[in-house]
Amino acid sequence: MKTIQLIEKIEGEATLKFSYNGVKIDFVDIEFFNTRNIENILLNKPALDALVINPRVCGVCGHAHLQATAKALEDCIDGLTLPNKAKIIRELSLNFEIIQNHFKWFYMTIMPLLGYKDVYIKALYPSQTINKAIATIAGQYPHNSYAIVGGIVSEVTTMDLVRLKSLIDEVVEFFEKEVLQSSIANLQECDNVDLLLSRDGDVPKVLHHLKNQNLYSLGKSYDRFIVFGSSSYFESGKSNKTRVTKSLDTKYIKEIPNQTSKAKNITYKDKYFEVGPLSRAMLKKTPLIKDAHRKYGDSIFSRIIARACEIPQLLLHSKDLISQIDLNEPSYIEPSVEISHLSGTGVGIVEAARGSLIHKVNLQNGIIKDYQIITPTQWNLGNGTKESLAIAQKAMVGLDDEHTAELVFKTFDVCSVCTTH
Amino acid sequence: MDKLDKKQLKRESIIQAALQLFSTNGFYKTTIPDIAKKLGMSVGNLYNYFSSKDILAKEIIKYTSQVLGEEIKKINMQDISSRDKIKLIVKVYFDMAQTKPEMIEYFLRVYLSHREVFSDGCEGMVCVSGFITEIMIFFDDGVARGELRNQDFFSAFGLFMGYLGGMVFLQGEEILPQELDSYIDDVSFNIYKALSV
Amino acid sequence: MSKCKLLWLTSISCNGNAHSFLNYPHIQTFLNDFEFVYHPILESTYTLQEILEQELKCDIVLLEGAISQEFSKLDISITDTLLRYAKSAKAIVTVGTCATFGGIFKDSGYSNASGLHYIKDTKHHRYDELLSKTVSISGCPVQPEVLAETLYAIKDDMALKLDEYQRVKEFFAYTVHNGCIRNEYFEYKVDNHQFGEKEGCMFYDHGCQAPFTRGSCNKLLWNETNSKTRNGEPCHGCSEPNFPTTNLYKTQKNMGIPQNMPLGVNKRAYLTLAGVTKAFKIKRLEEDLF
Repeated sequence: MKTIQLIEKIEGEATLKFSYNGVKIDFVDIEFFNTRNIENILLNKPALDALVINPRVCGVCGHAHLQATAKALEDCIDGLTLPNKAKIIRELSLNFEIIQNHFKWFYMTIMPLLGYKDVYIKALYPSQTINKAIATIAGQYPHNSYAIVGGIVSEVTTMDLVRLKSLIDEVVEFFEKEVLQSSIANLQECDNVDLLLSRDGDVPKVLHHLKNQNLYSLGKSYDRFIVFGSSSYFESGKSNKTRVTKSLDTKYIKEIPNQTSKAKNITYKDKYFEVGPLSRAMLKKTPLIKDAHRKYGDSIFSRIIARACEIPQLLLHSKDLISQIDLNEPSYIEPSVEISHLSGTGVGIVEAARGSLIHKVNLQNGIIKDYQIITPTQWNLGNGTKESLAIAQKAMVGLDDEHTAELVFKTFDVCSVCTTH
Repeated sequence: MDKLDKKQLKRESIIQAALQLFSTNGFYKTTIPDIAKKLGMSVGNLYNYFSSKDILAKEIIKYTSQVLGEEIKKINMQDISSRDKIKLIVKVYFDMAQTKPEMIEYFLRVYLSHREVFSDGCEGMVCVSGFITEIMIFFDDGVARGELRNQDFFSAFGLFMGYLGGMVFLQGEEILPQELDSYIDDVSFNIYKALSV
Repeated sequence: MSKCKLLWLTSISCNGNAHSFLNYPHIQTFLNDFEFVYHPILESTYTLQEILEQELKCDIVLLEGAISQEFSKLDISITDTLLRYAKSAKAIVTVGTCATFGGIFKDSGYSNASGLHYIKDTKHHRYDELLSKTVSISGCPVQPEVLAETLYAIKDDMALKLDEYQRVKEFFAYTVHNGCIRNEYFEYKVDNHQFGEKEGCMFYDHGCQAPFTRGSCNKLLWNETNSKTRNGEPCHGCSEPNFPTTNLYKTQKNMGIPQNMPLGVNKRAYLTLAGVTKAFKIKRLEEDLF
């Protein structure tokens, strides 16, 4: 038996074509069907124009694209010095974008899918608030291009930091009241998922729901994780179950075009890997997620906890970052090389909301001759064959019905526009 | 003739008279009474139009810039190539040097050489803006049309105006063997070659 | 009293406008007055499949993204869906620069991709029958307040003054330059801006298009907080027909004279003024503000 389901509200749409063997799904064909050819649009444009075009890859993770672009361009310049102040502020705005994304995913994608009505509204207050924090240092959200080659355009002052702290505190208060009733500092130390389950809040509510509906152990994939973007918080490397290997080389990444889908498949050393908050937590060995994984493997349970609990981690980390900023440092150091004369190649990698984001640029005399973008959703939502299932496919094979499959699919936090860019 | 026009004409005649006297007797030696006498007007009346010699000096510069600027504006408004415009500008400049020598002379020998007179009230290029604006328009058009090479304003300006001023200076010193007119073609061509794309 | 029905139709887009709209401060009360028959992110009455396959009632069509007959969802051309709903709708609002002028995504490879009525600043006349009920909200993305308040005005039949591109004048008659806190550096032609500094004006060297870009970015502020130019990023002209232009961080100059003038200001006027102000050095504006 074969059925087709249009999955929507995933920053676009995708089609899942299910094949059944008896009552169980034995294959899923994942098809993204519209591309916007951004890599083409960039060709023959001056290098810095990419900073303005690339946030428009996506409306909810465009800021990660901006930063990956800036990094890729900076990678073309030997010996470029990025002031520490700019590095920290860029990490802050990226943290903020990840946080607002996760709130939106949790309240607008996951909870409605589990049948909770009118709860999607709850995402708006925290995401609006954290977006104000982005606007404070980056001018606006969405679609700013405040990161430029050599640093950031904004000076950022004492009162900007005061404002940032207030905005972060507002979001922390919301989290501790609505999402999970625990102090986020305690959550950082917590190494027992059952303690989390004993609290009130929307996350425990969802997890209990999964347990009651016997859904919690579903959605297991290869238990293989990869993180490319290291920062002052995230650690890069790959993890096979809990066995971590730190060294990675982008030369082992292969992008394979797909027969049916407009999204290309990605492998590392010919294997599919999961990216995203669960992967990041596995690499960082976050105590709470370690415990979730020990008890529930790489199921949707662990995936949901990992994504939801990345919010408080990043809120805490952001407060820490703010205390590290030395306002006396410059925000920008003019590169020693004139960008309009620059030739070379560069790679820029950041951890976006959904996982590792990789940008590669080839410049000749300051003009973009080639540009490649590999998005996190391409890693998770590859369209492999029955013999070689990609991550989400493996997670869905063996399920009984499409509704559950859609839930598993969406725990990967799919971004259709990014995947097809 | 209405009152405003009469006043304007009177102003211009004072300026003309002043320019002539500055030219024959020198700037510092010429006094306001000298100018008033030449025009047959009372000193008090002259002070109604220009309250001091320094103010007169600055107004003259503004006036001459305006006159020259108007001529260049007419050239700018024509739909011809930059090369042709250069020739017309050179012609206008050289014509003025020949028909109203006191004007260009004033610019070269008083304005440029006695900056102390103009430092307060004619800062930077404020008083010559009538002329400078038109040169900027000429350059902007030329680059936009792809005829002139894009470069810093001052390197182009210095080349153009320094060259013209220099020729007029030489003529004033009676060093040039021929009339200024006969140099128009070569000078225009040189400027065009230097500034073109 | 039934709510005004909105159909948010996403074409060739990044969803930036949909996410920007989520930042509308009064969105909760908005949802008391409006019903999303379909929205790409918010809960809506119908699924996309139902919208595409059925004929449902809608009062206002919101179009996000560039359009092309070749672009389809579920094998149904987006323009077919658009025309179907637009016919009986009270108004069509183009949300964002792509839907209005084609923007970035008119170059995405779909045949004849364009905005609803315009490719850049040229009318393509393909849907002239819809012109009289079109309201354009350009911007990349749109400011949420601009969209929401326009929808209220349409719903309540308030008279709207529209410019030559059907943009609401109350929002688009201003230039992005109005309200920028760096204005004094512009006024006195202090042209020594460096990136990373709160002082200085980006018009002279760094490509700021604010003086000739229409929008309320510095009047309404973004996220009720800030704007690109206040923050030190040049305006890239994202609400104008020719967005994106090129060399977006560098001012195009001809012999040192900015090629693009502030809106409505002719070059002679600008240069004369510039000549005067450049003659004077204002100490306060040459130094760090604090």
